[in-house]
Amino acid sequence: MARFRIAWVVLVSLAAGLLTFGSAQSAQQQTLVIGGDWTDLITLDPGVAYEFSSTPIDDNIYQRLVQFDGTDLSKVVPGLASSWDIASTADGGTTITFHLKDAKFSTGRPVTAQDVVWSFDRVIQINGPSAFLFTDVAGMKVGSTKALDDKTVQLTLPKGVNPQIILNMLTFNIGGVMDATEVQKHIDGNDYGQKWLNDHSAGSGPYMLDRWDRGSQVVLTANPEYPNPPSIKRVILRYMQESNAQRAAITSGEIDVAYNFTPDAFNQAATDPNLKTIKTDSFRMQYLGMNSGPGAPFADNRVRDAVRYAIDQQGIINDLLGGLGRPMQTIIPYGLMGADTTQYYTYDLEKAKQLMAEAGKSGGMTVEFLVATGACGGGVPCADLAAKIQSDLAKIGITTNIKQTTSAQLYTIYRQQAAQLVLAEWSPDYPDPNGNASPLADYNAKSLAWRNVWNDAEGTKLATEAATSTDPAQRKALYAQLTKYVAQNGPYAILYQPYVPIVTTAKVQGFARSAQGDVDYAAISKLP
Amino acid sequence: MLSFLLRRLGYLIFVVWGVGFAAFFISHIVPADPAAAALGSNARPAQIEAYRHKYGLDLPAYQQYLRYMVDLFRGDLGNSLRTQRPILSDLKDFFPATFELTLGAMVFAVLFGLPFGVIAALYQDRPLDLIVRTLALVGGATPVYWLAILALELFHSRLGWLPGPGELNPYLIEPHRITGMMVVDAALAGEWQVFWSALRHLIMPAAVLGAFSTALLARMVRSAMLEVLSQDYVRTARAKGLAGRVVTFKHALRNAALPVLTVMGSLLGSLLTGAVLTETIFSWPGIGSYATSSAIGLDFPAVMGVTLVAGLAYSLINLLVDVLYAVFDPRITYA
Repeated sequence: MARFRIAWVVLVSLAAGLLTFGSAQSAQQQTLVIGGDWTDLITLDPGVAYEFSSTPIDDNIYQRLVQFDGTDLSKVVPGLASSWDIASTADGGTTITFHLKDAKFSTGRPVTAQDVVWSFDRVIQINGPSAFLFTDVAGMKVGSTKALDDKTVQLTLPKGVNPQIILNMLTFNIGGVMDATEVQKHIDGNDYGQKWLNDHSAGSGPYMLDRWDRGSQVVLTANPEYPNPPSIKRVILRYMQESNAQRAAITSGEIDVAYNFTPDAFNQAATDPNLKTIKTDSFRMQYLGMNSGPGAPFADNRVRDAVRYAIDQQGIINDLLGGLGRPMQTIIPYGLMGADTTQYYTYDLEKAKQLMAEAGKSGGMTVEFLVATGACGGGVPCADLAAKIQSDLAKIGITTNIKQTTSAQLYTIYRQQAAQLVLAEWSPDYPDPNGNASPLADYNAKSLAWRNVWNDAEGTKLATEAATSTDPAQRKALYAQLTKYVAQNGPYAILYQPYVPIVTTAKVQGFARSAQGDVDYAAISKLP
Repeated sequence: MLSFLLRRLGYLIFVVWGVGFAAFFISHIVPADPAAAALGSNARPAQIEAYRHKYGLDLPAYQQYLRYMVDLFRGDLGNSLRTQRPILSDLKDFFPATFELTLGAMVFAVLFGLPFGVIAALYQDRPLDLIVRTLALVGGATPVYWLAILALELFHSRLGWLPGPGELNPYLIEPHRITGMMVVDAALAGEWQVFWSALRHLIMPAAVLGAFSTALLARMVRSAMLEVLSQDYVRTARAKGLAGRVVTFKHALRNAALPVLTVMGSLLGSLLTGAVLTETIFSWPGIGSYATSSAIGLDFPAVMGVTLVAGLAYSLINLLVDVLYAVFDPRITYA
């Protein structure tokens, strides 16, 4: 009898073990763990967040009025708004009128026009790092957004602001709509609910913020009010700065997706049947900035041209990046409207030397070369890239003294117009060609053209005309002129447009990352 | 003893003040702008000006220092520029993980360093001693970041014996936060699956971090033991016919403990600093990772906060060692 009882106990506990094992299995299948370097995360408040890591997370929590069509960033499609009309106003400005769909916040409250107004005005009132998109680029003020009724919102834009650019901009997390009633309940003093939003969320997207253990993980859970429940119920973003750590963790299945593989490790992973490698697009571009101010080393465009001929682009992409980049020579990259992928320069040392001689620099010159520590676009260490450029330029008599600093230090010097030659990276603030054209070509925008002291009337004129033109065909034509002009006259030698290497386990299905960095977690599923 | 303690605690204030003063001015000599770090590469000049003004970064250094000190005396370490939260709550979030890791490393060091040292001393100049001494040399000379990557590759990726980076298997739900130390919290909550996973996650980083201390401890114990073993009273004890075990552990080891204790004190301090590299590689959410990202982000108030806490911890540990002296050696008294 006793023996029988023991057998019974063993059987029951085995069954219980199997059951818990089964549920652990399905919990694994419904959980997506992404390993990456999220140390730039400051806040997940959509009205304030302006970091590479925060935008993709916020996009899954907060819906915007409009959004891009998956990874196709040339097409704006309905988000919270089912449709919108653009009309001109008497004083030369425009209005965009949005008609809202029926949607619910994770709190259960319906999304109303008043929530949109409150969310947009809040951005302007807080005046955080991203607020300039509303105030400077869109010319918006408190009161520019009005609720015409519960389901209709009207945005009034001043003269000279292109509504097409603004629609593209509103896809960004700054256009995220939050539950005004909920956030207002948690306002502390003058903080507009910012403190509460550090650990909570109030959006209508497929996920909500569950917890954020700083330095360790961000956990999102599925929003029960979202109409189409996603297959992944829990998304965990684990902080893993080291690419070695990520490699170790994905091989053992502790993470499903890794964000920071080096080119070598990425190409090695491509041969592993348990892993999938995805080269995702980005709008980033790696470039050399050349100080073109009067008396500066690169004041003469012939010297800048010589540099552009002397850079071995293909060598960089093949040998250093292991293929994780595309050749790019203009300021509007693949994926943006008006992208110009023409190769204006071919690797030609003779031509470069001849240009140096014409500029009276046949005796060579010496410049200081500012380089950041850490990885450059495509995951290659900036130091390696700089060494390659150093050797390329040495061939035409330009001696570069590499000065490596943290990127914060580099940008401090660069912003004071005090860099002679700088290796840097750029990506647009919003996915519209103007996000590059104005900062890179218009000196008055006080951005890259300014930092490189390239004050060029033609560049400024073309950039301004293209920004204000509302006729898409005309805009495109203007950008074609501008990209060619800046490629041949500007203060840049653009090196390449990097891919962002992503590695997932073979079980992960439907992972896609847009050039902006957005990932729709709800579209992902995992095989058992 | 009491007056000694009070005097030492008085000195402590000066030590911490000195550390803070040095950290403040070093961080302000760095030719980089925190605003540039916080706002990213695309920020426009007007934004940067506004930011500098908002956080008082446009004031002269001495005024910033005065402001900082006034706040400090009120117990306010300021807000982090990067996380936008009070530094104190950041430290509270990050410190327990480091404490847990450091404690783990210490346990590892004592568990292996002590017996290895004793064995080496007992078998002086014989093969066992040679092995221990070689291991101690290698352990003491290996850079921790290299060892970390190597251990991760071998024990995690290749052999699969130990889990990878992080504090816990991501599929498990973290226990309710009580002490902030994952292993302890899991045990308190009675969640044994979580406890087991957290413990396994702790082993490799603790061993890597503790490797140097283990090596040093083994060497210290060895030389201290050798010295004690040649003393007259040990010979007397042996002559009395006491068992070898009793002589070794009761007479010799206890007397060798004093120099070892000193080393352990300073080791604990160095473990705190070693944690910076170990934590970064093992994705350990402790003060080391926090210090690294704060330093890279030029988050001065956060760097100051970490420096002060590390300085305070170091001083307190030294004080504790001095007090323990008296406990272990009745000949030492403090007046």
